[in-house]
Amino acid sequence: MSTTQQTVPMLEVRGLSTGYGNIPVLHDVSFEVPQGKVTAVIGANGAGKTTLLSTIAGLIPATSGQLMLDGTDISRTPAASRTAAGLALVPEGGRLFPFMTVRENLELGAYSLGRDAGMRQRIAEICEIFPVLAERQSQMAGHLSGGERQMCAVARAMMSRPRLLMLDEPSVGLSPLMTERLLSTISDLAASEALTVVIVEQRVTEVLAMAELAHMLDHGRIMKSGTAGEFRTDRMIQETYMGR
Amino acid sequence: MTKTELSRTPRIGSFAGELPVLGAVLAALGLVLLFYSDDSFTLNTLAGTFLFAGLATSWNIIGGFGGQFSLGHSVFFAIGAYMTGNLFLKYELSPWISLLPAMALAAAVAMLISWPVFRLRGPFFSIATLALTEVAMALAVYFSTWTGGAQGFSVPFKRGLENMIFAERMNNALLMLGYVAVTLLIVCWLRHSRLGYSLQAIRDNEDTAEAAGIAVLRTKLIGMGLSAALMAAGGSLYMMYVRVVDPYALFSLFDVGVKVAMITLIGGIGTIYGPLLGTLLLIPLENLLRAELGASVPGGNLLVLGVLLVLTALYLRRGIIGSLIGLADRMKAARA
Repeated sequence: MSTTQQTVPMLEVRGLSTGYGNIPVLHDVSFEVPQGKVTAVIGANGAGKTTLLSTIAGLIPATSGQLMLDGTDISRTPAASRTAAGLALVPEGGRLFPFMTVRENLELGAYSLGRDAGMRQRIAEICEIFPVLAERQSQMAGHLSGGERQMCAVARAMMSRPRLLMLDEPSVGLSPLMTERLLSTISDLAASEALTVVIVEQRVTEVLAMAELAHMLDHGRIMKSGTAGEFRTDRMIQETYMGR
Repeated sequence: MTKTELSRTPRIGSFAGELPVLGAVLAALGLVLLFYSDDSFTLNTLAGTFLFAGLATSWNIIGGFGGQFSLGHSVFFAIGAYMTGNLFLKYELSPWISLLPAMALAAAVAMLISWPVFRLRGPFFSIATLALTEVAMALAVYFSTWTGGAQGFSVPFKRGLENMIFAERMNNALLMLGYVAVTLLIVCWLRHSRLGYSLQAIRDNEDTAEAAGIAVLRTKLIGMGLSAALMAAGGSLYMMYVRVVDPYALFSLFDVGVKVAMITLIGGIGTIYGPLLGTLLLIPLENLLRAELGASVPGGNLLVLGVLLVLTALYLRRGIIGSLIGLADRMKAARA
C-alpha cells in the first residue's frame, strides 16, 4: 500500500457512531475526504448531517469510531485544539457573536494563531475576498443582513487558515441569488487557498454543481457515495432531493 | 478598500483608546466629591455608592462579559471581609497587605467551586450559585472562631491610612473612588484583551466559541477567578469601612449577591461603564425610596426596584448603556 503525501486523505472518518444521551444518531459512518476537493453531504432533515459535522469538529463526543485529519488521529483532541490542527466549522445559521463587531468576530476566528501582524495581514486578505465586510468592520455582527452574516461566518472560519473547511447549510435563509454568490465564493476560496471543503446542504442541485464528490446520509447511515456527476444523474437522488 | 489602506486602518478599539474616557469619568467623580467636601452625610453615601460601583464592575467581568449569571458573588465579598477582619484583629495586619491573601483565596475558592458548576448553563448555573450562597452562610454561622458566628464581630477604631480607618469621610470616599478606578482600569484592559474577547465570545455562543479554538472551561474559570478576586478586594475595603460584619449582612442576596447583578443589568450588562451608571442611578434612588416609603410602605423600595428591573428586561435588554451602543450601531449601519 502506498502512503505518499497525495494518497493520505485530508479527513478519514472510520466507523463513527454518536448520539444524544440514549438516542443514537450516527451509526458506523465511514468515508474519506480527499485533499483539495469539495465534498457534499446531502440528506433529509434529521438524517444526522449537523451531528456529523459537530462530531468531526469535536463539539459532540463520538461514542465510537476514529477521525484522522491529514493522517493524524484527532479522535481524542478537544474541539478548541482541532481548530489549531487545521479544521474550521461554519455552523448552521452562521452563529456569529452578535454583540461583538465584525472585526472582533474575524479576530476571534484567528484566535488559535495569536494576535499579531499576521492577523492584520489575514484580515486584509479576507476583506479582499469579502469586500462588504471591510465596509462593516466596526459594526456589531448582530446588525448585519442575512447574506452578510453568512459571509462573515465563512470569513471568520477562514481566518485560521484552515486546511479543511466544513460548512453546515450555508444557504439557510438566503435568497437563491445570494446562495449562488456564496457558493461561488466558496468554490473560489477552495481553488485559491488549496482548501478541502465538506459542505452539508439542502439545496442539492446547487451544491452538486459545485462539489466533486458526494455522500448521501439517511437515518444516520451513509447510503450512497460517488462523484457529484453520478449523483446528478441518479434517478433516486433526482426524485428524492431535486424534485424532478 | 485595498490591502494597504486596510493595514493602515487603526484598530477599532484598544486599551489605550479607552484611557481618555476613563480619565474623564474618574475626574467627574472626583469633582462630585470636591463639591460635597463639607457634607459628611453625602460623602458617606458617595463612599458606599463607589464601593458598590466597584463591586458591580467586578461582577460584570464574569456576569456581563462572560455571560455567566452568578448570583453567588457575595461569597467572595464575604471572604474578603473575613480575611481582612481576622488578620487585622489577630495579627494587626494592615488591610493593604491582607487584601492580597483575600483576593487569592477568593479566586481559588471561585475556581474550585466553578469547576463543576460551569458544566451547568443558563438558569441552572444561576441556581447553583444561589445555593452556594446559602451553604456558605450556614458555614459562616457555624465556624464562629473566624466569623463571630451569627452575631458577627467588629474591629476597633484605630485611625490611620495603614488601617484604612479614617475620621474624615472624604478619605473613605477617596479610597472607594480608588477601588472604582482600579476595577474600571482592569475592565478597560479586559474589553480588548484576548481573555476579554474569549469571554464575550463564550457569552454570545459557547459552542461556536469552542469551534473557534477557545478553551471554554479554562476561560470561564480565569474570568471567574479575576471577578471573585476583585469582589474580595471590595469585601476587604468594606470590612475596614463599616468595621462590623455579620453573616446576614455579608451574604445578603438583596444587598449584595442579587443586587450587583440587578444594578449591572439596568446600567448596561457587558459594557465598561454600565455597572457604574447603574449604581449611580439606583443606590441614591434606593436610599430616597427607603427614606420616603420605608415607614409607610415597608419593602416599597424593593417593589419599585423590581418594577424597574422588569421594565429594563422588557425594553432595554442590554441596559441603558448597552441600548445606547446598539442604537449608535444601527445608525452607523443605516448610513453605510
